[in-house]
Amino acid sequence: MSMEDYDYLFKIVLIGNAGVGKTCLVRRFTQGLFPPGQGATIGVDFMIKTVEIKGEKVKLQIWDTAGQERFRSITQSYYRSANALILTYDITCEDSFRCLPEWLREIEQYANNQVVTILVGNKIDLAEKREVLRQRAEDFAEAQSMLYLETSAKESDNVEKLFLDLACELIREAKQNKLDNNDTAPMPGEGKTISYLTCCNLN
Amino acid sequence: MAAEELPSEFDVVILGTGLAESVVAAAFSRVGQRVLHLDRRSYYAANWASFTFNSLLTWIQQHHEEPQPEELHDWSSLLEEGEELIYLSNTDSTSVRNLQVFCFTSEEGEEAEAQSPDAPNTTEEVSAGDAVKETSETESADSKYEETNQKPEEEEEEEQASQTEGEEPEADQPTPTAAQSQSEPTKKKISYAQLVKEGRRFNIDLVSKLLYSRGSLVDLLIKSNVSRYAEFKNVTRILTYRHGQVEQVPCSRADVFASRQLSVVEKRKLMRYLTSCVEETEEQRAYNGRPYLEFLCDQQLGNNLQHFLLHSIAMVTEDTPTEEGLASTRHFLRCLGRYGNTPFLFPVYGLGEIPQCFCRMCAVFGGIYCLRHSVTCLLVEKETNRCKAVIDSRGQRISCSHFVVEDGFVGADRKRLATPTRFLSRAVLITDGSILPSNSDQQVSMITVPPVAAGCPTVKMVELCPSTMTCMPGTHLVHLTCQSVGSAFEDLSPVVTRMFRTPQSHDQEKNPSVLWCLYFNMADGSEVKGHDLPSNVFVTFGPDGALSHEHAVSQAELIFKKILPEEDFCPPAPNPEDIIYDGENTSTGGEEEQSLQTEE
Repeated sequence: MSMEDYDYLFKIVLIGNAGVGKTCLVRRFTQGLFPPGQGATIGVDFMIKTVEIKGEKVKLQIWDTAGQERFRSITQSYYRSANALILTYDITCEDSFRCLPEWLREIEQYANNQVVTILVGNKIDLAEKREVLRQRAEDFAEAQSMLYLETSAKESDNVEKLFLDLACELIREAKQNKLDNNDTAPMPGEGKTISYLTCCNLN
Repeated sequence: MAAEELPSEFDVVILGTGLAESVVAAAFSRVGQRVLHLDRRSYYAANWASFTFNSLLTWIQQHHEEPQPEELHDWSSLLEEGEELIYLSNTDSTSVRNLQVFCFTSEEGEEAEAQSPDAPNTTEEVSAGDAVKETSETESADSKYEETNQKPEEEEEEEQASQTEGEEPEADQPTPTAAQSQSEPTKKKISYAQLVKEGRRFNIDLVSKLLYSRGSLVDLLIKSNVSRYAEFKNVTRILTYRHGQVEQVPCSRADVFASRQLSVVEKRKLMRYLTSCVEETEEQRAYNGRPYLEFLCDQQLGNNLQHFLLHSIAMVTEDTPTEEGLASTRHFLRCLGRYGNTPFLFPVYGLGEIPQCFCRMCAVFGGIYCLRHSVTCLLVEKETNRCKAVIDSRGQRISCSHFVVEDGFVGADRKRLATPTRFLSRAVLITDGSILPSNSDQQVSMITVPPVAAGCPTVKMVELCPSTMTCMPGTHLVHLTCQSVGSAFEDLSPVVTRMFRTPQSHDQEKNPSVLWCLYFNMADGSEVKGHDLPSNVFVTFGPDGALSHEHAVSQAELIFKKILPEEDFCPPAPNPEDIIYDGENTSTGGEEEQSLQTEE
């Protein structure tokens, strides 16, 4: 039914403490901007960027927390149907690192079992203020079987790599899943959005 | 996650995250009002919430405990000249009562794992008929639950001796019991331990409702674009219970033609009736005020069709007036075929998603969210009798122009009590199969159960399959609801015993077994009661017993229209794909705001 021009569509969800630079990562990637001192992004639900990987068009829908992390009040529904999670902390803020287990508990509770999770240490441009050693974060990520990457939204370090690596991983998994259950039976949880139902199921 | 201070000025402060409050929050935020949305609970959606199995057990536990009245803090020091305080209620113990839990499956699966030797473990067995007969009153190995777990329910003492009752162990590692089901050699029952282990696959709703495909909630979800946060499944069939049998109700044209239980004459009659009742006629008007049943009788439809039309299509009772019965019949027919074969939709992951979707919309437009945070009192300007500010649970003064509060937070001293609160009776069952097996094991069914005996309530039942993401594979989740006559157990257990296999049921070999069930009563939010509160304070009421969401949506719209009569209620949020960002790569000062607009 779709007239959309892409081979894959993935929903990527950002989580992590307030102020670690989640929105900056998204903006840097989708718009090439680093807006210093930017306020909340009013009215923007998610951002879209379509990338090409090995000749296939991959549309990434990147969701931000809408500020609900500020008082630890993220809705469970935010995690639903995410293909990948970017768990972000700030390498210059020990506290944001120490909260990671709490975030992992939320992920375990509400996110899909097959969700791909990547740990991101942001703000490496502020190396002189680093509070969390790279080795420590790498060990933590490994123990939780997550990928790990350090980024700077400001200097644009590793930002492209972060999203492209994720996209590659998601394509790999999608192909694997297709192989594993190559039938047309609907997967559990494959609901339809109302608008989709509207245009397809009129009878 | 550090505790920050809240801003101290808002246009609207909203307490409670049920459906009506959440829609209000989204509506205000969407038109640019500064919204603070709070809930004392640690979860979203109040009495509309969905829980995993384990968090449902915690919720049950909390309702077993005596409410701990919080110490009333004296905030009069925050008062300014000409102001007075109104304290809000600090316990919500009144809206849910009569909780009873029964576990009819074994604690451990056949392949019982290593027992922890020091676990205190008391098991008693009660023989009752056939089938599964063990009762397990198991003390939890986890000491912090021991005290409350021992507390008996008031009603349990009154139950008959054959009643099987089990308090659920709350610990993650349940204590194994020696007793095991011996009656079912072929089919291996899912054990309690498996339910706990797979607990996160459950999303168990406190309310049981459906979305009418042309109802006000679906309209609002589409209009506001909140629908982008949720996914839905069609309810695939309408069933009814008659003469001890579950039957499928033919309601669409295709169903009628395909039906095997209807005769050719009945098919013709039904089609004629469904076509003719859409238009209002003189003949129908003559029946105004008289029961719909009488009208149906006079149409010479026969018992089968009369039952279907009254109970499953109009979903009314025998004494509902004709005009009301016809109106519900028409609404049902209008909703057919928009999305599927039945008029109903159900949200994937449960109904508790819906309020959260509206909260997300509110947050996207700048609303601030804080769970585990409440308002303890209102600051009222005496002269104008308006609420100027609220004081939150941390003692912060937060000024606001309007305050919206869920009824449960309003103290008894502020309620104008006319009649005692009415309640709904609810039951939640985890079963091992569908009530009407068919070639697909992923059916979502709406079942109407007419009164099983005179004086008994009509019961609405919804059976959910694992693909709705509300229960683990191999199980079904069944919700029963009725207006309460007695306690939930008294009202609903006769229906459960007849339609399912429990230790109390007899000769029900082919019915699905109940593995675990919960009964409780919840206050009926359909009664809108008066309050002695300032004029800029608005009270919302919780879930009602209707199948639809009209009540909550209309409350929200009414409050919005009272406060902002000129503004659009939940206009469409821009589609993120249509947003054009100005000033790309051109901003030099870095201070300028990113303006956004939408393409038409």
